[in-house]
Amino acid sequence: MKKRYLAFGLAAALGAVSLTTAQSGRTTVTFWYALGGSIGEQIEGLVKTYNASQEKITIKAEYTGNYDDTLNKLRAGLQAGKGFPNVVQVYDVGTRFMVDSEAVIPLEDVAKKNGFDINKFVTQPRNYYTVDGKMYSLPFNSSNPLLYFNSKALAESNVEQRPLYTLVQLEDTIKRLTIKDASGKTTRYGITWNADSWFVEQFGYNSGYAYCNNENGRKTRATETTFNNPAAIAFLDMMGRLAKDGYAAPVGRDGTASLNTFVNGQAAMYVSSTANLFGATRAVGGKFPIRTSFYPFLKERNGVAVGGASLWMLKGFPQIEQDGAWDFIKWMVEPSTQARWHLGTGYFPVIQGVTDRLDVKQGQVKNNNFVTAIRQLQTSKSNSTSAGCLMGQFTEIRTYVVSAWEEVLKGKPAKQALEEAKVKSDAALTRYNATVAK
Amino acid sequence: MNKTLARVFFYVGISVFAALLVLPLLTLFSVSFRADADVYNPSFFPPHPTIEPYQIALEKYPLLRFLLNSFVISSLVTAGVLLISSCTGYALARISSRVTNTVFALIVGLLLVPGEVTFLPLYIMVNRLGWVDSYFALTLPFIASPIGIFLLRQFFKSLPQELFDAARLDGAGHFRMLWHIAIPLAMPALGALAALTFLGTWNMYLWPLVVTNAESLRTAQIALRFISSDEAVRYNIVGAAAVIILLPTLIAFLIAQRAFVRGIAMGSLKG
Amino acid sequence: MERSLRTNTTNRQNLRIRKDWLEMMVLLSPGLLLLFVFVVLPTVEAFALSFQREGLLGRNRVFVGLENYIEIFKSKENLQSAWQSLYFAIIVAPLEIVLAFAAALLIARPFPGVAVYRTLFFLTTAVPTGVAAIAWSWFLNPQTGWANWLLERFGLPAKTWLQDSSTALPTLAVITAWAGVGFASILLTAGLQQIPEDLYEAARIDGANGWQQFCSITIPLISPTLFLVTLLVFLRSLTAFGQIHLLTQGGPADSSMVWIYRIYQDAFFNFRQTYAAAQSVLLFLFLLLLALLQFRLVGRKVHYE
Repeated sequence: MKKRYLAFGLAAALGAVSLTTAQSGRTTVTFWYALGGSIGEQIEGLVKTYNASQEKITIKAEYTGNYDDTLNKLRAGLQAGKGFPNVVQVYDVGTRFMVDSEAVIPLEDVAKKNGFDINKFVTQPRNYYTVDGKMYSLPFNSSNPLLYFNSKALAESNVEQRPLYTLVQLEDTIKRLTIKDASGKTTRYGITWNADSWFVEQFGYNSGYAYCNNENGRKTRATETTFNNPAAIAFLDMMGRLAKDGYAAPVGRDGTASLNTFVNGQAAMYVSSTANLFGATRAVGGKFPIRTSFYPFLKERNGVAVGGASLWMLKGFPQIEQDGAWDFIKWMVEPSTQARWHLGTGYFPVIQGVTDRLDVKQGQVKNNNFVTAIRQLQTSKSNSTSAGCLMGQFTEIRTYVVSAWEEVLKGKPAKQALEEAKVKSDAALTRYNATVAK
Repeated sequence: MNKTLARVFFYVGISVFAALLVLPLLTLFSVSFRADADVYNPSFFPPHPTIEPYQIALEKYPLLRFLLNSFVISSLVTAGVLLISSCTGYALARISSRVTNTVFALIVGLLLVPGEVTFLPLYIMVNRLGWVDSYFALTLPFIASPIGIFLLRQFFKSLPQELFDAARLDGAGHFRMLWHIAIPLAMPALGALAALTFLGTWNMYLWPLVVTNAESLRTAQIALRFISSDEAVRYNIVGAAAVIILLPTLIAFLIAQRAFVRGIAMGSLKG
Repeated sequence: MERSLRTNTTNRQNLRIRKDWLEMMVLLSPGLLLLFVFVVLPTVEAFALSFQREGLLGRNRVFVGLENYIEIFKSKENLQSAWQSLYFAIIVAPLEIVLAFAAALLIARPFPGVAVYRTLFFLTTAVPTGVAAIAWSWFLNPQTGWANWLLERFGLPAKTWLQDSSTALPTLAVITAWAGVGFASILLTAGLQQIPEDLYEAARIDGANGWQQFCSITIPLISPTLFLVTLLVFLRSLTAFGQIHLLTQGGPADSSMVWIYRIYQDAFFNFRQTYAAAQSVLLFLFLLLLALLQFRLVGRKVHYE
């Protein structure tokens, strides 16, 4: 008898959660997003506000794991022909695949139909997500990499913070910020910089080098990677030297370990996306003020590409859901939404007219690091290099570049490591291109 | 005198060994009771013990829901395995024919198929059926367990024939014999199989990782991965969540250690 | 009269046989159906897929013969992964067995307080992989983990365990061995307890000391079990996944990209399902070989008894 009650209770408990409460007249639109932690909380908050702001649409937001996981799950759903959402957040490097999948509705077409002017977007994010002359997705969270400083450490080591760093200047600064004890053991690292392909990509762009051929895959489909360029080689060789001589913290590829190292004062500098600004500031608390500078470059600054992600709308749903999905996407890029998003995370606004808002200006006075990312974006040259590389199988290729970075940390010359990675990457790219050839 | 000394040495030795074995778990407990400020303090005990990480973990993540998912899935699989193994095992043991003998040989063959290797084609199949993100995908593929069928077949085979002959004379069919004779006698074996299956299902990682997206279906194991990447800066919260997720199996193990031990010994060795 | 009785019995027998047959089908078919659908079919499908190539999102599958297999055998990375899996298992198995055997020897015979120690030694059985991984990642944290703290107390240099490509795989192996100690010590304790107590008594009467008893009774009698458990642990560690997924994701520099992880990576990350299926088939055949070996040895053991 007891058992039966228990079973009944379980069934009821499960039913209560899985049954969507039937709200009369509301259309449910599923939205998969890929950001966890404090940033994920912001997204949840936005969705809640949106759902409360109108009576027609209910956004069912699901956190589907990080960017890689989310794209993987989307692919699985598309392959099965079911179990995919109306709206999905896909990272920058998934763009080529999303277009090739033929499973999405180009949002430029939808925007035109609904009288939404896509010229309102900030140039760089708009360039990034324009593929074959059309905006397929709308940028939502755009970011670029920044150098973070522990200003207490700067003062202690009597080092001036510069607004711009060439690679040589950066290496010198890192060394001067490192503290070693009498036995030569590092007690505070100059920098913590986790092995992430994005940093290699951005360093190349910022130094004027494309990541893949055919003008970063913007003119025609990319057929070959070009990340074995002088900038990337110099950059990775520096990372190898810094690791070997105890100037850089041994955090491997772990971004959160890197953040921890910085937050705990074990490293004077930290490199991360502007998106971590809010989280890092909160994690540091009152321990020390954070300062930020532009991302470094080899000799001459070109400009960084936008990172982050965009929102895509998938085919195969009834019109009423498509309309709901569009309404939500449109709301997500509205200046008022973007202002709140910007201040809650550090992602820069993707649409014009946000930076002039009073709340944004006030927020930026409170934490003027928010301005660094925007200024970095505004002062970046706008060309195919800073538009960022567009190619298929980017996720796989990134793993080869990360492995190359790790090989360099082990002592391999960067040129050799990158060339080996290029062979694997080009094979992957060729394979991918063959699968989408018409 | 000498004997006492030897005894002291024995206890000291065995205690050190045991302590070293549980040390990594103690780390987890230690960090889970720390305030944010003490997380990176390498002391053995939390300097200012607090249960705040537990409160935050429970508040931020539907941990109980994840545990409930794991519990429901493990229970369903266990119940299914017991039922299917009993029926199939009984038929293979008590009904002797060329068919059952062949089938039994085939099942022994399936024992050799390592489950981890079929996850990819199984996934492709489940995905085609549209079962991704469903309790079906998490339970159905596992309720016909070659090892369970094998164990129960061996057990039923070892029961004396006279018991069944007597029942036969009373006019009992196989269903009644299975229910009234075989199963009651097999209770200890079933208990052990249940413990083994439950634990095995509870600990599944690769499969739930690939077949679930929705938070509402997430199992405790997979949830840990999400929490650990979300909260990496606040390891006390990750630790608290891990402890909460550890507790059910820990408690079950402490209560039913005997069944677990027997299940593992039986399931792995008697093959 | 006699004849009609006999016909009656035959009829009744026929009826019973038919009823037996029916009941057997009812009892057998659900299990067999499930086994067919969820074990046999996927295995067959894995083979079928491994001879194909596919386009984006699994579209346009074409038969390509042995192409996938040829590519696997040509690729350095795949061979490296196979080797890493072996290397991993070669560390895990002896380490886990030594730890578990030591534990089993200590707790096989009762003494005051044995229950507590049994619980402690068997405890890792109750620790899910994920929890074990989380606990160890904190234990091994390069900056504040107790592992490095202990090393430094003994004047040894701190290590970055999981972040260093030369230590990551051995470290994962230690974690895996640790997590399996409970399992293996349960099996070995059971094995030790099956050795009849009177053998030891007889040896004691003959004046054998503890070490002699260990060498002449325990070792010979436990060695079949020991061997079997070693093989079992070896097989299990060849498919270890959760801890790698949580702690290193195959890195750094592919140093922990073991076979099963590469399959996962190729199937769910690089989207080469048919290529991954071919790798699955190879891993399957390899494990099958080991399992057959185990099976034969078990058979022999039973035979000896």
